Amino acid sequence: MAEIRSKQPDHWLALESPSSGGSWGCRIESVGVKLPALRLTTKDLMNRTNHRTRIQLERLTGIHERHVVGPGENSFTLATGAARDCLGHSQHQASDIQMLISTSITRSKGRSSQSFEPPLSLYVKQAIGATQAMNFDLSNACAGMLTGVFVLQDLITRGEISCGMVVSGEYISHLNWNAAQQIRSLFSKQLASLTLGDAGAAVIVERAPDGSGIDVIGFTTLAEHSRLCLAFPSTVGPGAQMYTKSRKLQKVAIDDMAPLVGEAIGEAGIDLADIDYLIPHQTSARAIRAGTEEFARRLGAKPKHVVVNLEEYGNTSSTTLFVALHKYLEEQRIHKGDRVMLLALASGIEIGIAIFTIDSQADHYGHTH
Amino acid sequence: MGTRIEAASALTGHGLRKPTARRLADAATRTCLAQAGKEPGDVDMLINTGIYREDNMGEPALAALIQEDIRANPGQPPIGGRGTFSFDLLNGICGVISAIQLESGLLRSGVIRLGAIVASDVDPNPKNPRAAFLRPTGGAMLLGWDDSLAGFTDFYMETFPEYEGLFMSGLVWQERHGHRVPQRATGQHQMVIEEKPGYQARLADCAEEVIRRFLRRLGMGLDEIDLLVPAPSSADFLDTLRARLGVPSDRVAYITEDLEGAYTTGPIAALQAAIRSGRLGEARNTLMLAAGAGITVALALYRQTPP
Repeated sequence: MAEIRSKQPDHWLALESPSSGGSWGCRIESVGVKLPALRLTTKDLMNRTNHRTRIQLERLTGIHERHVVGPGENSFTLATGAARDCLGHSQHQASDIQMLISTSITRSKGRSSQSFEPPLSLYVKQAIGATQAMNFDLSNACAGMLTGVFVLQDLITRGEISCGMVVSGEYISHLNWNAAQQIRSLFSKQLASLTLGDAGAAVIVERAPDGSGIDVIGFTTLAEHSRLCLAFPSTVGPGAQMYTKSRKLQKVAIDDMAPLVGEAIGEAGIDLADIDYLIPHQTSARAIRAGTEEFARRLGAKPKHVVVNLEEYGNTSSTTLFVALHKYLEEQRIHKGDRVMLLALASGIEIGIAIFTIDSQADHYGHTH
Repeated sequence: MGTRIEAASALTGHGLRKPTARRLADAATRTCLAQAGKEPGDVDMLINTGIYREDNMGEPALAALIQEDIRANPGQPPIGGRGTFSFDLLNGICGVISAIQLESGLLRSGVIRLGAIVASDVDPNPKNPRAAFLRPTGGAMLLGWDDSLAGFTDFYMETFPEYEGLFMSGLVWQERHGHRVPQRATGQHQMVIEEKPGYQARLADCAEEVIRRFLRRLGMGLDEIDLLVPAPSSADFLDTLRARLGVPSDRVAYITEDLEGAYTTGPIAALQAAIRSGRLGEARNTLMLAAGAGITVALALYRQTPP
């Protein structure tokens, strides 16, 4: 293996870019999604709370409905379905995948509401036929999938592997039901649990043929805020319960994210106005709007488009960024040459940023429309 | 030039008021940093590989809580400073080796300068001590870059899904009934762990097969491995494997008795034994081995000089 260590300047983000000195480029080759057929409207959910809450959740969050699992569906089936969809849009076969990383927060399979061992990644790789791939699970809350891409980027740019997959299946609608039993008001720490929807997503990352690909990908953990959002196994029903200090989390995210976004675009040598599509973590339309305005104020520019798909999916946890990217590719709203920024925000708090330009992957989407 | 093991530290719950996975990891990380003469703020990346916790928290990653506890750059980002990036990696006993592979690569790229890997487990069924299959332990190791050392040069992992059912664990929801059950607590999640007969023997079978295949690929013989750093340490597994490979006991890093039963911490505990005995520094070629659920076997080769 070539010796590629380079001296990097100080960044707050753990940052990978062409200046990291890798021998190869790395790009997102394809994205796949698995959405359950069943849907649950916000109105129906709020009609099933145990207490009369008077919360206007749809108006507050912009979420009209979300997909929810039906019988026989769980984290494993969503992840596997997404992985198969991803391969369907890819030029790769399952046998090309050299590393498979499962990043689901929820790992329900069979009778387990949360499986621990063997890792879920083992089951997924067997199900799709990527039997020779190295595998492990990675848990980083809603930033899990982008963290997986960060990990693969380093392995690919150094030439250790040439193709990898990150996959996640989030069966999180049980948090809706568990919160609905207890929530009483707008100020409940379980309010954010009512915004969640189920989805699977997968992404194939490969060696870029021409040395191009992901311009910048970086991460950091601002751990003094690690307790702003906590999720535990539930005591009121199967699955989990989540407790979030939403207002504080939003304030911290906006305050701390701006300099980090500045660091990432500086490394990429661009301006925020050069971003054609900003895809942020999907929490609430109001929070995304406020965040974008604050970025514009602090960084002196704003991206051309900000993607919000909450209306029909809700917050699908670790899959949100790739569910949104897939939708925009499938609807041919993102085109070859567009520059995209993925912006992950997660409990921890974790902040992750990836900047890349859409290339030939756009050719493999949109034919169903 | 390569990745250097700066320090490794493993400990049991002794001395802690109540051993929890987080406290064990915190204590091990602090000890490890002190051994290496490093400050928490020097850590650029912290990967937690522990599995079994007292609360089975789903999010955030336990690594973020550990980062906050040890005060590794937890605050608001200043311009031009360096932060810490933390996440959890779950791969059973093999998690430590998977994490070494990732951090070793990021050190090689120059993305990080110092990486921490932590692991800890507590008994997932404390109300049923007879079901305990592990001893509460925590461990931490630090990886840095050394221009005069080959360091970790090769990694290998293989899975044997035909044996995936021999060891399985997960949380299962159980309804609670009766007049003493609080209205709000209608049930609980119980950790169910199933180890079927023959698991340890199959672990040894798979480990032997993978070690031989790995060394064959590298063009190396077993006699060139000066030190084996294995996990788990159970006699069922290790004695069988050692006998099959023909490796004498003086070429194996055995963990101390108080750490017997370490689970995800196992590879770090074995590494600590190798360091304390002085054998890690003497060995030209050290092979780290972990074998666990899946069945998954992970290997890492650590060399003093390039091949």
